[in-house]
Amino acid sequence: MAARDTLAEDQVARLLEGYRPPPGIADELLDPEGRIRPAWRGFIQHFAGLGPEERARRFARGDQYLRDAGVFFRQYGEGSSVERAWPLAHVPMLLAEEELRRISDGLRQRADLLEALAADLYGPNRLVAGGHLPASLIARSREWLRPLVGVAPRGGHYLHFLAFEIGRGPDGTWWVLGDRTQAPSGAGFALENRVATARVYADLFAEEHVHRLAGFFRAFRDALQGLSADPHDEIGILTPGPLNDTYFEHAYIARYLGFTLLEGEDLGVEAGRVMMRTVEGSRPVSVLWRRLDAAFADPLELDEASRIGTPGLVGALRQGSVTLVNALGSGVLETRALLAFMPRIARQLLGEPLALPNIATWWCGQQAERAHVIANRERMMIGPALSTQLPFEADATTMLGGQIRDPALPALDAWLEAEGADLVGQEAVTLSTTPAFVDGRLVPRPMSLRVFLARTPRGWQVMPGGFARIGRSAEPAAIAMQRGGEAADVWVVSETPVEPVSMLPGPAASFARIKPGALPSRAGDNLFWLGRYVERAEGVMRFTRAWHARLAETADPGSPLLEHFRAHLAGIGIDIAEAPPGALTDALRSAVTSASHVRDRFSTDGWTVLNDLAAEAADLGRGIAPGDETARAMGALLRRITGFSGLVHENMYRFTGWRFLSIGRALERSISVAGALAVLADPEAPEGALDLAVEIGDSVMSHRRRYAVTTTRETVVDLLALDAMNPRAILYQLSELRDHAAFLPGADPLGPLTELTRAVLQLHTGLAIQTPDRLDDMALRALQAEVEGLSDLLSETYFR
Amino acid sequence: MIYDIGLTIGYRYQRAAVTGRHLLRLMPADLPGQQRRLSGGLAIAPTPFERRDLLDFFGNAAVEIAFREAHDEIAFRVAARIERVAQASVLDISPGLDRLGDEIVGYRGLDPEAPHHFVGPSPRIPASPEMAAYAAERAAPGMTVREVVQAVGLGLHADLAYDPQATNVETTPAEAFARRHGVCQDFAQIMIACLRGIGVPAAYVSGFLRTEPPPGEPRLEGADAMHAWVRAWCGWEAGWIEFDPTNAVFVAADHVVIARGRDYGDVSPVRGVLRIAGGQTSEQSVDVVPVGI
Repeated sequence: MAARDTLAEDQVARLLEGYRPPPGIADELLDPEGRIRPAWRGFIQHFAGLGPEERARRFARGDQYLRDAGVFFRQYGEGSSVERAWPLAHVPMLLAEEELRRISDGLRQRADLLEALAADLYGPNRLVAGGHLPASLIARSREWLRPLVGVAPRGGHYLHFLAFEIGRGPDGTWWVLGDRTQAPSGAGFALENRVATARVYADLFAEEHVHRLAGFFRAFRDALQGLSADPHDEIGILTPGPLNDTYFEHAYIARYLGFTLLEGEDLGVEAGRVMMRTVEGSRPVSVLWRRLDAAFADPLELDEASRIGTPGLVGALRQGSVTLVNALGSGVLETRALLAFMPRIARQLLGEPLALPNIATWWCGQQAERAHVIANRERMMIGPALSTQLPFEADATTMLGGQIRDPALPALDAWLEAEGADLVGQEAVTLSTTPAFVDGRLVPRPMSLRVFLARTPRGWQVMPGGFARIGRSAEPAAIAMQRGGEAADVWVVSETPVEPVSMLPGPAASFARIKPGALPSRAGDNLFWLGRYVERAEGVMRFTRAWHARLAETADPGSPLLEHFRAHLAGIGIDIAEAPPGALTDALRSAVTSASHVRDRFSTDGWTVLNDLAAEAADLGRGIAPGDETARAMGALLRRITGFSGLVHENMYRFTGWRFLSIGRALERSISVAGALAVLADPEAPEGALDLAVEIGDSVMSHRRRYAVTTTRETVVDLLALDAMNPRAILYQLSELRDHAAFLPGADPLGPLTELTRAVLQLHTGLAIQTPDRLDDMALRALQAEVEGLSDLLSETYFR
Repeated sequence: MIYDIGLTIGYRYQRAAVTGRHLLRLMPADLPGQQRRLSGGLAIAPTPFERRDLLDFFGNAAVEIAFREAHDEIAFRVAARIERVAQASVLDISPGLDRLGDEIVGYRGLDPEAPHHFVGPSPRIPASPEMAAYAAERAAPGMTVREVVQAVGLGLHADLAYDPQATNVETTPAEAFARRHGVCQDFAQIMIACLRGIGVPAAYVSGFLRTEPPPGEPRLEGADAMHAWVRAWCGWEAGWIEFDPTNAVFVAADHVVIARGRDYGDVSPVRGVLRIAGGQTSEQSVDVVPVGI
């Protein structure tokens, strides 16, 4: 026993050999005397006991989870943006329960203060009248939204969900670096960090008394449901859409909490109420968790250039019919210069000092403050006063330690004198360090912590966790935090076992809704087109493979058959000379775009396969040789896309969205087969066209079995158009269509036909009674046009 | 002076609009001490599905309307009788320009009349060093704020060509200033950028001009359409003073106010969001006829 303890101690000592926090700053792992803090002891022992291979294996397990879950964030570069894998730091940051309790007390006070400040800025403006806050600062803020002045929020509160960025100073006390009030992001990432980190330390996690996060989310979900006008109302998460940097999180949170992910376009305002456009008609929405910056939320009264907003939303707020979380206009509270006034505002509004200080800030619009900043320039960060960025997200105009970062800017004194009202000086804080695992050892890295608060009927709840940003370099100055940092899970460690149920709401709270929500029209539209595009891509693969396979056999691209077929393909946008075919990459790109809008309704596996497929098709070398090589490449892609279809159609729950997806596929296939048949089963078509048709229809075996003769026009049309048992045949696809249409909203098996079900039935019946000889190319073309008509009818009925 | 005011604005769409929601600021304002609305009506065809009156932040009367049925044209007709009593500013009780900054800081409020809203850049009038320099050149040392406003306004009137073909509603002040021409909207937004550039709070005013001048006087530019001019804050005592750079006059009885804001975007007569597929055309006619004193 004693020997084992000694071993463990040796391992820990070896692990921490060389772990030297820079002098004069606090470290999360080691106390000022260099001893391991109690909260970390268990973890460090465990970590030290893992060999290098074991560690690598475990880290890989966490990374694998994030990849499988499709966790990404979007990083903006110059003029473009890319999806980046989530940068998980494999070593969590551990915080004693007692520490979080002190932080929580301070942050609850700050949350109340921000609420009172919002109420004053959008109400009586007493702080301005009393000279506690300069009027010009508020008036110049782009986030102080004049149309919202005087609009009392439904339910009485402006703020419901907040995040605070905090850091620990050299003396061990915590400082608020910035308030996130507009649409705080990161809670979903914190959750994903947790799941991934728990996989890395699966065995340890259970013993370490780490507080769970689920209770926090459950309490917040229940709180939002409690704000609904009607328990049956949908709760929406309003997202700017897939191009936003944290869209993944929006979709993830929506799935996790069972809320509906909405874009501005999904919503409309009718008679002062916000309505969601669904395939079942308009549904009222009374609570929206907003992840969209306020200015974009309503082009009618806010930024008129916004294309992602909901016209009339401000009017609906004025009528008190909807709660926005947080209220439109809350972004003004993030204004950097406000930090200069918070201590004073706290005394005015709460009658008490700030329990947690914020980073010392001076607004340079005032003479005395300006002079102070100039005199202390060496330890100041000077930057835009109205910015809502966090201090370490410095931009090009920010100046640190007396050095102008952009040489084009004028000298400091002149700069502050001329533009003082637009500038603040902030004391450059020194952040504490926490261990990061770099090149096989632990090294201290600067970190800041993001803590989340949610308003519930029982007051502000603090997430017992969060995420820590870890700087990439050892540079202790705050600025080192900015780019390329990692995110670590935060373990709040209790001395006693944590009851997993302790955070559960009491029995009085409302319960989760089980009824599936109505499908938003836009989501239905995207699923429908996803079905069409994937089928279109598959069609291009089949056509291309068939052409090149024939080429490989004949080695004569000018043969009548290949010329005849090439002309048909050109007519449907496939240029057979292209490698990879543009029509294929276009269809797959469109499929990915459609899928990206419905990620909350779509399996991660499906999403990954689709993306891989699009990337693979795009990568198909330009040097790929025509003939056999291309044919084989298409064959490989075909097997992949069949995998996608299998995933979707085997795994997707049979809700309305799946039906639209399936209808899209059936429609596209019917159109494609009808077009190909019209050309290849044309009596004038060159020799071999019929066999080609059967091959494209993947029906060579079926043909042999069913007809036991060589192909004739009759057998081919019979098999590919009129066979109710062949999934490649038009009639089969129309049966699918008919069956799905019967389950769409508005269709009643016992009631009268809808316009759509009537049209589908008519088309199906018309084809079912056809004979091969009468189904000539004219009739096939007409059929193709009628199926296209169904697509329009469907869109008009459900997606408008 | 009492005016009968008639305004018609029509839009025609190439392809029918499916739905539409608009915010209208078309009705002459009721402004104690300056103008009184004796009567006023706004007719809209086709009849909107929703219609709601509201006062915006700056105190302008606005009407929010929504259409649900497809429509290929819309017509707005305003008929109003207005009594206009405002006098041109004559007496100069404004401080020197160098003292204005302190007076602004001393204004502790964010009410609609507060100067603070009108000092910084606004969505359609970003800060412009060129226009600030232009204004600074015209502000001679020792001038009062009112004198500066007048000097800048007269300077712009002299330097800018009035040219209805040159610009449209989306032309930025910077473009119009660079080419030194435009219509009343450009004149007003340029003058606002100039004044803000030297620290004078300046607002945008939309309104009407009387169509035919009093006997013996020249017809005012811009009388056949909606008009725009500038409001400048000239300190505690003098308050807001209005100047029309298009016509180089302090605003008096010939001008009728509709709405005020930081720039055109705050007062645009018809702000709207449409779902249409094709293009659109619009036409406007204005009559401001004196019917008594």
